[in-house]
Formats: sequence, C-alpha cells, structure tokens
Amino acid sequence: MIDDPLSSRGTRLMDRRQFLSTSLDGLAAVALTGLLGQEGRLAAADLKSGPSNTTRRHFPARASRVIEIFCAGALSHVDTFDYKPELVRRHGQPLPGNDRFVSFQGENGNLVQPLWQFQPRGQSGKMVSTLVDKIGGHVDELCFFHSLTTKTNTHGPAENAMSTGFAIDGFPSKGAWINYALGSANKNLPTFVAIEDPRGMPQAGPNNWGAGFLPARFQGTPFSTTKPIRNLRAPAGISSSTDEATRQALLTFDRIAAQRSPGDTQLAARLASYELAARMQLSVPEVADIDREPAHILKLYGADSGNSLKAGFAKNCILARRLVERGVRYVQLFNGAYASAGRLNWDAHGKLKEQYEGHAEILDQPVAGLLSDLKQRGLMEDTLVVFCTEFGRMPMFQLGTQGRDHNPGGFTAWMAGAGVRAPFSYGATDPFGFRAQQNPLTLYDFHATLLHLLGLDHERLTYYHNGIKRRLTDVHGTVVKEVLA
Amino acid sequence: MKARFCSLVLLCCSILYALGGEPWAWGPLVSEVPPPLPDEWGHNGIDGFIYRGLQQHGLQPSPSTDRANLIRRVYLAVHGMPPSVAELDRFVSDYSPDAYQRLLDRVLTSPRVGERWAQHWLDVIRFAETWGFETNSFRDQAYHYRNWLIEALNDDISFDRFVMAQMAGDVIGVDAATGFLVAGPANLPGQIGKDIESQRQARQDELDEVVRTVSEGFWGLTVGCARCHDHKFDPIPQRDYYALQAVFSGLRYGHRRLRGDENRRWAQRIPAAELAVEQAKEQRLTLQKQWRLAPSINPAQQEHRFAALDLKALRMKIKATANGGAASLHELEVWSATDSEQNVALASLGGVASASSYTLNANQSRHPDNLIDGKATFPWVADLAGEAWVQVTFSGVKRINRIVWRQGGGSFPVDYEIEGQSENGEWRSLGNVSGRMPHLEDRRQADKVMLSGVSEEGVSEILRANASLNRNLAERRRLAAGPQVFAGFFQTPDETFRLHRGDPMRRREPVAPNAPTLFDSLRLESSASDETRRLALARAITDRNNPLAWRVMVNRVWQHYFGNGLVKTPSDFGYQGADASHPELLDWLVRRWQESGGRFKSLHRLILSSAVFRQDSRSQEAGMASDADSVWLWRFPPRLLEAEALRDGILAVSGELNLEMYGEGFNFFHNRGGLADYRPKTSFGAAELRRMIYSTKLRMTTVDTFGAFNCPDAGQMTALRSQSITPIQALNLFNGPFIADQANVFAERIVSLVGSKAEPLEGQVRLAARIALARELSDAQLSVLLPLARSHGLAAVCRVLFNSNEFVLLH
Repeated sequence: MIDDPLSSRGTRLMDRRQFLSTSLDGLAAVALTGLLGQEGRLAAADLKSGPSNTTRRHFPARASRVIEIFCAGALSHVDTFDYKPELVRRHGQPLPGNDRFVSFQGENGNLVQPLWQFQPRGQSGKMVSTLVDKIGGHVDELCFFHSLTTKTNTHGPAENAMSTGFAIDGFPSKGAWINYALGSANKNLPTFVAIEDPRGMPQAGPNNWGAGFLPARFQGTPFSTTKPIRNLRAPAGISSSTDEATRQALLTFDRIAAQRSPGDTQLAARLASYELAARMQLSVPEVADIDREPAHILKLYGADSGNSLKAGFAKNCILARRLVERGVRYVQLFNGAYASAGRLNWDAHGKLKEQYEGHAEILDQPVAGLLSDLKQRGLMEDTLVVFCTEFGRMPMFQLGTQGRDHNPGGFTAWMAGAGVRAPFSYGATDPFGFRAQQNPLTLYDFHATLLHLLGLDHERLTYYHNGIKRRLTDVHGTVVKEVLA
Repeated sequence: MKARFCSLVLLCCSILYALGGEPWAWGPLVSEVPPPLPDEWGHNGIDGFIYRGLQQHGLQPSPSTDRANLIRRVYLAVHGMPPSVAELDRFVSDYSPDAYQRLLDRVLTSPRVGERWAQHWLDVIRFAETWGFETNSFRDQAYHYRNWLIEALNDDISFDRFVMAQMAGDVIGVDAATGFLVAGPANLPGQIGKDIESQRQARQDELDEVVRTVSEGFWGLTVGCARCHDHKFDPIPQRDYYALQAVFSGLRYGHRRLRGDENRRWAQRIPAAELAVEQAKEQRLTLQKQWRLAPSINPAQQEHRFAALDLKALRMKIKATANGGAASLHELEVWSATDSEQNVALASLGGVASASSYTLNANQSRHPDNLIDGKATFPWVADLAGEAWVQVTFSGVKRINRIVWRQGGGSFPVDYEIEGQSENGEWRSLGNVSGRMPHLEDRRQADKVMLSGVSEEGVSEILRANASLNRNLAERRRLAAGPQVFAGFFQTPDETFRLHRGDPMRRREPVAPNAPTLFDSLRLESSASDETRRLALARAITDRNNPLAWRVMVNRVWQHYFGNGLVKTPSDFGYQGADASHPELLDWLVRRWQESGGRFKSLHRLILSSAVFRQDSRSQEAGMASDADSVWLWRFPPRLLEAEALRDGILAVSGELNLEMYGEGFNFFHNRGGLADYRPKTSFGAAELRRMIYSTKLRMTTVDTFGAFNCPDAGQMTALRSQSITPIQALNLFNGPFIADQANVFAERIVSLVGSKAEPLEGQVRLAARIALARELSDAQLSVLLPLARSHGLAAVCRVLFNSNEFVLLH
C-alpha cells in the first residue's frame, strides 16, 4: 500500500547489489549522481512500474528548467498588468456594494485608478502600465494569469502558499519538488538555487526554498551576487597548499577506512559530497562572477546602474541566466524583502506612488533585460520564466492612507518561455480588479500547470510523509490547458 | 478558509479497511516467549526474535564489534558524545565478565542521557522558542519545558508520568511540562485579522497543532487528517477529530507562573516590595503637596473643563510627548455645554480634523480623521518627533465647556496647551498642564521640564521621585507575577463543534470531549471541566489495556538505537504506516517495559544489553546482497550522526565543551527571533560552548555549519530525521571557521597531553585518532596522517579527523 519509506530517505542511491561489484571510486561516482539527484527520482510508484528512472518525466515537455521571479510583498496587479477601464471611470467613487469594505488592515476608502497610465504594447496591444514600461516591451512573449486567488491574506502564509502549496510552514517548496522529480543537469552546481533580493530575505524566508519533509538535498541553496554561499572558501589562516593537502589526506583516509566495509553507500556518498563540494568551490564563484560579463550585457540588465539596489538585482538576474545556462534546474529569484511598511518590498499600504516608483526602478529593466537575454541566447526554448507574487492589492486606497491593502481574491502572474502560449491572457478579475471573476484559479491550478509544463503530472509526483502521500497540489489542482502552446 | 489538511485517496487502503483487517498495532499485545538462541550468539530475548528473522531470510548475525568501538557506539547512542579517553581505557582493559553491565551502569546514570534523549522528543513535537509564521517572534521562557524534559529523563520518570505531566502538569505540580501542548507554531494576536472568521480560524489552527502533537506523538495516529473530513485511511471519523480537540478546548498559548522553589522565594519578597512602593508613593505625594501641584494627567482619558464658551474650532498644541516619540492621540473629543451633551468634534456631526502632519510610514491609517471617528481603531500619529498640533473645526459655532483626549500609545502629550477659536477668529488658551505633577511615564530630562511655581531643584527632585516609584512598581509587578514559563494555560473549555469541511464558519453539531472511537470512551460529559478532560485522556493514553502508545514509544526508542524503528513510520501506526518488521519483538519489549514500571532506562538497558546492538557494523556480502538496508539487523546499521551529536562530539574531543546544564538557551545568532536576516555569531564564549540542545531553537531557521546536517527546523513534526548527504554539509564541515578553530584547539590539547618535541609527532597523531575515533590507527591510515602532520601541522590532522567518515558516522 505504501512505498517503502526507506527508499525515500536519501540513503539508497542505486540498487545496492551493484555496489559489491563496484570499486569505491566507482561507487562514489554513482553516489555523486545520487547527490545531484541525477537519477531523477519520480514517485516511487513510477519507479516500481518499470525502468522509469531513465525517463524522468511523466510525459514529454519542452521546459526543462525554471526561473521564478517572486515579487515579495504583494505586487499591485491594478497598477501593473491588469487594466481596468471601469476603475479609471469610477475613480473616487465607492466600490459598488462594498462601501468601506473591511480587508486585512481595516476599512477601505474609495476606488483609486491606477497610479500610472496604461498603454497598448506590442503586436497584441495588451495594456500594460508605464510603471513596468520595459517589461511591457516583452508583452507579446508573456502569458498572463489574471484570475489567481490565494487562501490567506497574510504575507508569510501567502508566500508559503505560493512557494509550497500550503499556507503553513514546513512543506516542500515547488523548486524542491521539481528538483526531486528531475534532478540536476550540472554536476558542479546545486540543482536548485534561491537568489535573495539585495534588500534582504522575503517574509517566509527559507520556507520559500525549503525541502520540507523531502530529503535535504532537494532544498534550494541560497546565494546571490551580494550574499555568497557560506563556507565556500577555505577557513581564514589556512593556506591553499595546506587546504589541498588536507582534503587529499581526508579522501585517502576515508578510502582506506571504506575498504573495511565494502559496498556501504553512505561512505561513498560522503566521499562524493566532498568531491562535489570541492568542485562547487570553483564553480560557484565562477558562475557568480558577474563582473566578467561584457559591458553591453551589464548595460542590458541595468547592472551598470548607479542605484546599487537596481545594479544588485540586475546582477542577480544575470546570475539566474548563468545558472540556467549551466543546467541548474530551478532558480528562484526574489525581488523585494520582508515586511517593512513597504520600504523594502511591494507592500505599499501607506505611500504606494512613491514606494512603487523606487521598487519598479529596481525591477523593470533587469527583468526585461533577462527576458531579452534568454531569448537572444535561445534559452527560452527550454526555459520557463514564472513571474509571481503572494497576492494582489485592493482597487481602493485604505481609509486615511495613500496605499492599497492586501487582496487575496484576485491577482496576476505571468509565464514566458518553453511550452507557454503567448501572447495570451487567461482569466479575468471583475471590472475593478477586486475579485477573480472569469475562470478563477487556485494556486493548486497554477502549480499543476507549472508541473505540467515540465512534463510532470501533479497527481503522480508524490512523497510519503506522516501518513499521507503528499503532493505539491494537496488533493486539488487542474492543469490550465488553455495556456499550453 | 478552505480545507487545508487533506490527503490522497488510495482506494486500496479503504478496501483493506472495509475488509475488516485492522492494523496489528491497534490490537492487544501478543505474548510470545522469545525464540531460542543459537549456542554461540545472543544475550537476551531481543536476540531471539532478531535471530529468528535472520534465519527466515537466510541471514546470519554479525559478530560483536571490538570493545573500543562498542564503547564509542554506546556513548554516542546514549549520550550523544564520544567517551573520554579515560573511560575508553577503563572499559577496553576491563576483562571482567560484568564489565559491559558496569559500563551501562555508569552510562545510564549520567546526566548526559537526558540531554541526548530529550532532543529526540523535541524533534517529534517540533519544539522551538519562536512562534513561527509571519513574525517568528521569540517565545520568552519557553526553555523551561526543555529543562523539565531533560531532568525528567535523567530522573527516569515512568511513561505514565511522562504522559501525565505533559498533558496535565499544571494539575500535578510541574507547570513547565505543559509546554508540550504548546510546542508547535501559532499566530500571535497581532497577526490575526479582526474579523470573526480570522479569529476562529486562528483558534482552530492553534488547537489543530495540539491535536497533532498529542495524536501523532503518543499514538502514532494522524488524527489531524480528519480535520476536514473522515480520515481516508484510518477509521477516524471527522467527529473524532473534534472530540479530541474538545479535550483541549480550555487550552490557551501563553505564559503562566512557574511554581516551585523560585516562585516561593519571590513570593517572600513581595511584602518588602509593597512597602517600598508605598514609601515611594508617599514621597511623591509629599512633593506634590509641597509644590502645590495638581495630580498628573490620565492619558487613557484626560479631561479639561472650563467655563462655557462659543467656539468654532479647538486645537491642542503639543510641546512634548512622554517618550519623546512622534505625538499620537486616538481621539480628541470636544463636548458641547448644551442639555444633550454632544461630542461636536465627531466627523459624523460635521467636525473636520487637521494636524501639523501625519505619518505614512505605517501600514494603516495615521490620519487626523482618526481623532474624530469615535472609534479606537487607529490613532493619529505625527510624521516626526517634536512639537505638533491637532485641530478640530466644528460645523458651526458651538458652546463648549470641556474636552477629552485619549492616548494613541506611549508617545502621548505631557506638555501642551489647549486653545479655542472664537467666532471672530481669535485664539485663546483654555488650559495647560504646567500646574500638574509630571506623569510617571514622562521621560523628559529635568532641564526640559518647567512647572509653574517649582524651582529647578524641585523639578529634579520630583522627577527622581517618579523614577523611584517606577522602579519599585516594576519590581513589585515582577515579583507578584512570579517566575514565568511559556506553557499551556487553562480556562473554562469553549464549546466544540464539528466543522463542515474544517471551515470555522460552518459549525455543525456540538461535540463532547473524547478519545478517538477506536479507543475506549473517556465517558466525559460536555460539561466536564478542563482538568477532568485532560486527566482522563492522559490516563487513557497509558492504560495498559490499550498498548498503542506504549508500542509507539518503544518503537521510537528502538529507532534511535538502530536508525529505524521496528515500524519504519514512527508517527503513523495506521493503515498508511509501514508494517512492523518484528511485531512480536515490539510487543515483548512493551511487556518488559511495562513490567519495569515504564522506566525508560530499563528499556535502554534491555536494548543495549542485546547482542544485536553490539554487532559489528561492517558490510557482509550476504547481508548486502539481500538486505542492504539492514532491516533484519544482520549488522548494526551505520548512520550519520545527528547535527547535535556531531557538534557536541567535536567540542568534547577538542576539550572545549562546557557541560553546564539547564538555564536559558544560548544563541547561535545575534537575534533570537523575528523576520530580519539571522546573522550567525562567529565567536563563541563559554555559554555558546554548551551542548547544542541548550541553544535557543528558532523555527524555520538553520544554524550555521551544523544546521545543514538534516537538523529539523521545527516547522513540521519530525519523527525521523532525513539521512541526506549533501555537498553543503561537506562545505560547512570542511571550511567552517568553527571547525578550523576547534581543530586548532584539539591540536593544542594533544600537544599538551603528549609534549611538543619532533619525536612524539607520531604519538600525537595516534592520540588524536584515539580521542576522536576511539581506536588505534591502521598503518595505512597513519601513513596518510603522519606526513600531513609533518608538512602542515597537527591541526590539519585534526581537521581530517573531524571530517572523516568514521567520526561523522555512528557505526
């Protein structure tokens, strides 16, 4: 009835019978494959049914890696991508039927039109606001989800919901699920990288890239151009010759000891982990060395900006591209940090106009540059770009403030790249952007669609934990077929 | 809220249930005499059961491991630290027949036992010292639970008391033990919306954590799955979930008095503190009279009366606030002197508010309109600290004879002028506070305070008297509250309802407190008191006629010796759980444990005494070929040490470990909770060199260096840690500055033990290996380490040892 829970604890890296006939270094090579998740462990049920661990997917798909851009703090859909002419017309009037509507922080005032002009963009003429002018230039490549909903109106739980499918802490992030399913295509880098914003950590912190109850090796490794991996270099005061001699001595010492217990996978896996770590010591600084990018590329992303936050985020965008170029499976790129009355992220309750102008300056060009760069390098053929946030914002201002409150009832995300239909807009909010009205979507639907684009069936990607075969989509979710190219 | 805790439908399981097959673990204990042992192998009943399993699978047990490795294994398993060299030598050279039993005597009476085994239970109940969720704020005084647990395990309390204390410690005099019930995450009141749906949802979430802690922790039953609907796999109807929830419906998360010696000492000091308060009040009153001052303002509701005047507007010019912050008021009321008194400031009566400024640096409104909305929802707050004003203009000329203001927070006005504007536009003063005694919370320096008719010396003396009274009041409050513990506190139970699809807004029939229906009824009335409910459930859990909780706990103990339980799903003994590999052995252990009175140490001794535990851990061809996971225990299964054992072991070996017990936790980070990035500490004093269990546990946060070693983050219950091996672990252990520091300290220790001349270098290397690995180096390994020591120093050798498989694995 259940899959052998042991098989999912991360110790069994291959059929152990093979180990007896394999030398330790051969074993280490196999173990290394395991560390990287290259064996591509799908649900054990699939593995049982045949030699399916050579086919990593449930069905063919174009996308094989993901860059997720997560706008922390809740980006206002009505001020960016969700054009509502009725909201402009009724500016200054109460929301019909919901005068003084009470939301997360209390009463709301009257409807307030977008604080920036919307203009038709691209061949499609899709309306986008001037706040995200440069992203608007890519509108024909984007597939909008305008009718998303989420089940909590609080930032931390809502970030959890977007990243893990559950509002409470401790569930595996979607990057971890995808890592678990597909493994790595690069043997020198972590399979799943979380890039924090230069301003700091998002509200739900590491839960956004955690492994939950999946084995730890599937979790995201956080590092960015401003925050390197900890302990990536030899400790201070140890020369490189001593460091290298120590490492070699360790590997030899462990090989000798391993002869006493042939076939033990843990011994081989630990040896392999040191070898991979040594390679990461070289490959991670290499991939993070953004300054060696040509000047025109730095300029394209805005990494040459005098605004250090914009330059920092732009470099993170370049890092994301360099990572997927090298086969990293999932890159989660944060724009915005933790709750700070809107200073450090998109949570503008008080002074939206002023704060968003600052935040958009950091976001717009780097993301547009990333889309251009991925396209010119042909990476869009097999890379999926997901642009999301934890919920939307109200079409009204809060009573007595110049900002908008949380709106879990309707918000926008978009995808671009491999396998996605574009230009396209799916679903719609009501005439004010207040509630999802046409084809409302849950995050389960959104996640099911994301997995589908990677060739994964959200109902078959499971992991046994505390009595339940868990999924990213709990027991819900329907793939939005309309958005598939 | 939608259904959040749902599970997948696996038809086959439902069918199994429909066919009437019940999981073995829910039935009565089977009593089977241990199968006979072969002549050459085995010590106790455990070995008989294991040997039979091996025979059935064509396997042979492994011989005993060598004595040096055995003592290392015993120490790491029972204490979470390697043995000292003295202990190692003592045991290795003791050839008397009872040498091993005497070793166990020493090991099991050490206080290190509680420190090691407490961690296993803390994992299960996801104990942490932050609230989790949105703010992850620090949970002050939560550490008392951890201390209670360590002490209880060291005192070897019975399983009955273990359960009773954690369920109802408040009733039996161990307040800290109920920290168990509130170990999980919860939302702080400030994170919960003000609407009824959010309030009910938050309460349901709180209780859900308790239901999970109790049902998974003690019974290995995923009752939490029945929150929204009947359990998909186990016979737990949704009603059972709410019946169990009803047992805890009197529970609240919070602080309570920690009774005991400390509390009694504090209580004895209260009369003296009372006296000091009275004296300080007396002195303050004397000064007030001496300088002919009126009583202080009352910022909760300060009134000013004056002879009735016709006014069209009124303003308050604020010169200073109590704490120096930006001025803030909730309300400014202006009352008409007419027969039907009216607050003519109200916006609903045409009042218009304005202010010198208002801040937008907040999530909610701080607009002056808040002053005249007649509600205490949001205050007005000025944009900057310093002088400020607020004004209300009426809908016309009004006859006024009093005003009332209410504070918005700690930055209420302490020096201000009230002014009214007459019809002709002239402003005149209506009152100020210069003739009043300064408020106790007024934190201005003496040179900033002017009181009419009071000399400079007089002002200083008055402010000193205020400070003295504040100090004495604080001390009295502290003593009266007593020492505090974060634990359960208990009130009259709320009525519990079954909730349709778990939705707190869709209440169905009321549900009386009870255990799940697969157990005997608790026979409680709906009116049963909170205590009665919890006591009844605690007794039912350890009832000898219902062995499930006993099986679950024995299985947990077994798991921590062998890496896996006899049931490999330690918190799921239902249909979705794994089958037991040796159900008869588990039941035999339960019987033996019950006969011992449920003392954990007797269970430890039983397992440690078995030949199974003492087996060699090395691979064997036959075993690897057919049972690579060592399910049938043909060897002692090697595994990664837990992060705590790894770190404590490094410190023990280097000689830096501080064995001070209990007390408040030490911090691995510069902050103990909250949202901001956690910056790890990089230098450690004696407090930080205590055992890792004494570190402040932060939810959803990973400790530097050791956190990567599969340390649970207390987000979800962790009955079994992952055994994942990652390159991040290697980077941390090989490059971490902490490891490099400890390698240096260890090398210095070795030198001080052996001497530093060139000649004894080999002796140094050998001793380092003996301390770290509890064994003599082979010639081949010496030939690797000795040249390294010659060329790069002994510290390099120590770094190799800390990173070596032999050090990092329990084998």
